[in-house]
Amino acid sequence: MKVIIVGASAIGAHLADLFSKGNQDILIIDDDEQKLERIQANCDLMTIHSSLSAPIQSLKDAGVKNSDLFIAVTRDEYLNLSLCVLAKSMGAKHTVAKVENAELTDPQTVSAFNAAGVSTIINPDSLAAQDIVGGLELTWARQRWNVHEGALTMLGIKVREQCQILGKPFKEIFKPDSPYHIVAIKRGTDTIIPTGNDMLLTGDYVYFMTKREFVSSLRGIVGKEHYPEVRNAIIVGGGKTAVSVVNKLPHNIKVKIFESDIRRCEELVELVDSSRVMIINADGRSVANLMEENIRRAEAFIALTGNAEANILACLMAKNLGVPKTIAMIENMDYVNIAGNVDIGTIINKQALTASHIYQLMLGGDVSNMRNLLTVNADVAEFVARPGSRITSKRVRDLGFPREAELGGIVRGDKGLLVNGDTLIEAGDTVVVFCHGTEISKIEKFFL
Amino acid sequence: MLNKRLIFKILGTLLWIEGAFMTLCLIMALCYGESDILPFAITIIATLIVGTALRLSGRHASSALSRRDAYLLVTVVWIAFAVFGSLPFLIGGYINNVTDAFFETMSGLTTTGATCIDHVEGLPHGLLFWRSMTQWIGGLGIVFFTIAVIPSFVGGSVKVFAAEATGPIKSKMHPRLTTTAKALWGVYLLLTAACAVLFFVFGMSPFDAINYSMTITATGGFATHDASTGYFHNAAIDYTAIAFMFMSGVSFALLYSALFKGKARQLFRNAEFRFYAILTLAATAFIVYFLLRYNHYSLGYAIRVALFQTVSFITTTGMFNEDAAQWHHITWVILSLCMFFGSCAGSTAGGFKCARGVIALKVLRNEIRHMLHPNAMLPVKVNDSTVHTTAQITLMAFFLAYITLCFTAYFIMILAGVDSTNSLTIALSCGSNVGPTLGLEIGPTMSWSILPAGVKWLLSGLMLMGRLEIFTILVIFSPSFWKMQ
Repeated sequence: MKVIIVGASAIGAHLADLFSKGNQDILIIDDDEQKLERIQANCDLMTIHSSLSAPIQSLKDAGVKNSDLFIAVTRDEYLNLSLCVLAKSMGAKHTVAKVENAELTDPQTVSAFNAAGVSTIINPDSLAAQDIVGGLELTWARQRWNVHEGALTMLGIKVREQCQILGKPFKEIFKPDSPYHIVAIKRGTDTIIPTGNDMLLTGDYVYFMTKREFVSSLRGIVGKEHYPEVRNAIIVGGGKTAVSVVNKLPHNIKVKIFESDIRRCEELVELVDSSRVMIINADGRSVANLMEENIRRAEAFIALTGNAEANILACLMAKNLGVPKTIAMIENMDYVNIAGNVDIGTIINKQALTASHIYQLMLGGDVSNMRNLLTVNADVAEFVARPGSRITSKRVRDLGFPREAELGGIVRGDKGLLVNGDTLIEAGDTVVVFCHGTEISKIEKFFL
Repeated sequence: MLNKRLIFKILGTLLWIEGAFMTLCLIMALCYGESDILPFAITIIATLIVGTALRLSGRHASSALSRRDAYLLVTVVWIAFAVFGSLPFLIGGYINNVTDAFFETMSGLTTTGATCIDHVEGLPHGLLFWRSMTQWIGGLGIVFFTIAVIPSFVGGSVKVFAAEATGPIKSKMHPRLTTTAKALWGVYLLLTAACAVLFFVFGMSPFDAINYSMTITATGGFATHDASTGYFHNAAIDYTAIAFMFMSGVSFALLYSALFKGKARQLFRNAEFRFYAILTLAATAFIVYFLLRYNHYSLGYAIRVALFQTVSFITTTGMFNEDAAQWHHITWVILSLCMFFGSCAGSTAGGFKCARGVIALKVLRNEIRHMLHPNAMLPVKVNDSTVHTTAQITLMAFFLAYITLCFTAYFIMILAGVDSTNSLTIALSCGSNVGPTLGLEIGPTMSWSILPAGVKWLLSGLMLMGRLEIFTILVIFSPSFWKMQ
């Protein structure tokens, strides 16, 4: 498959990384030679240095005509849109444009752009906002990923002393009717795909797969019942992500946004509903300011400034002040791992989120939903089992499934089912696979 | 530099229009064959002569109308209309002094509706019609009327419109001012016609129906009977009057989009309309309670009179169907509050305007919140759009000017020996263009003829300032207005 990426900044680089691991033909176009060099040093792909203001010739040179996927992720949203229109007219099969303005993602506008040749429009801020809002609805988990409107849910949870299943080997606690399934454990910097002899320890970051009706009993098992529901949230940094979050939040949550730039404050006032959102023109990194606005009463603290260090430190401070749920936006990929070990709750990386969202598109019809989990460097994907595919031939324990991958659960019809060794997967089932350190296309073969 | 020639020219045109309105009254007088034929004929000739003279003197005027010209023009136009409008009363001898005649006409034009004629039933029909006519023209504004009729008038200048229009936010409904004016006058005409037809159906004579509908939709308050609508003792007429007074208090632009563009829902989402409706209902509820408790009215009758009086005061109409002087004095406070607020901006009503009330209350709430959250950005939003700080300051300045003006008038009236309750309510009544006064000396149903002449001149000025929203006139008295630059 041939993929052309325009724009080599964070999202482009991340995409290049994802795609090149998947043995695809990648071309990346940018006007910044240094960025291209850096990418070329790490990934197996071809770079084209060209001015973005006159890109038509280089688009032709890159062979847009027979490309399968054309992705425009430059800084300029209108350039992205018009590049996609051009690429489509030149023959690209699928085009993706990144936009910054949330207004461009409303259904009517999207369908107008679809007609013009932009197949998919992606707004990183609203993707990040979706994640954050989802996190606030389920404060006790750090990550949550829904399969089939929540028929199955995967939750990333950091277990502490209150957890009831610490220190017991899994072969003792797991029965065929257990309400959950552990798909992966992150301990320190290691990712463990659990076997019967493994056990949970305090401080482990555990990925649970469970069914909708068992979510609350899982909450009891991991001992997170003391986490309150979010009524008051504090956001530091009033960027576009903050606006997107606020507009997506349920109306019963009151929000205070700290923004130190007075001009931005004036803009924010126009963008949010002032009856439940208060804009505060002060530095959200100052404890005094936070205390003045009653941070102790807030159930959630979200740091969304452009500065990853500031976000990490602000979240640590909020944790110390007793805020149960903290979320930090981290743009710098190098920090993601460290931040996972420090106690700062949920981490949001807009670039990675956008990249993995786009990456799904490549995986085509058999993989309907995929997500890259930053903290464990793993992917979770949904596959649909085709009739006669290898996965339907034997019971799970006899399949010879790679050790690096774990079957999380299946959705049959509208019902979620958890998987154990005796499960027999049927054609048409949606199967959730967790894979770490292995190639997702290797797993894909089981389903073809 | 003031463009005097242009002002003369426009003034001349407007006097012709006044002459045309008077001709309608002359026709009315001829139909009834009463004593006011000659006074009207003389007035019309005088008005046309002066109008023509003014037009001639402004023949070669350049068409550049500055902001100053606009303010001066609007003020002069209103005074000239009142001067010429008072002539029929004087020439016919129905009012025997200049003070009362000018006061009566100014009260009409500004849609105040306070009268110093003790016995209106004694006036000939033509003159009664002229009284109602002054209110009807004054309702949406004299200049604004002309903009609708003569498209080329003042070259579609928004400055003149802004000098005469009421309310804190002056918005156009259509890119062209003339089209906007036509649409609003269309709404006005429709309301008046509908009101007249209903009054006729419910048993008024055609003459009364037309007169009452004109003064009600103008939220004026002049009546052809001393007892106002109370003369009819008819619930259907009362409720019709209530409905039309209330509608005339709604922003005409809003009514237009609700009636002709099917956006009725927008009406109920509008913050100003909601404030207006809630204030009306709350005031009515309070008054009903006091009427039941102290006056022992039946519930149905209490609601009828309380609603009528509240709507009459809040829309600054000033009609009455019962003597509020007999009510508990606390109701006077409630009615005074209604007088102060008035109804929506962009209607025919006067007063502080509900739009300003909404904004002022939000500013107040924000100030209190600001004490607790010193760094918070607290926007004042009305109908989802932010009212900027400059607009907020203008509004507060208006509030201050309004209060200062009313209190100055109050102070002077007390010095002149008027009863203190009366002084306060008269000041409010004139500042808001309502009409009746509440007090011990002059009741709400009585004429103001006993007031001293000096006070009447003061009140004439106050009414005009109230109608033109103070600043238009105040700016003329500022020294910098007259400085040559």
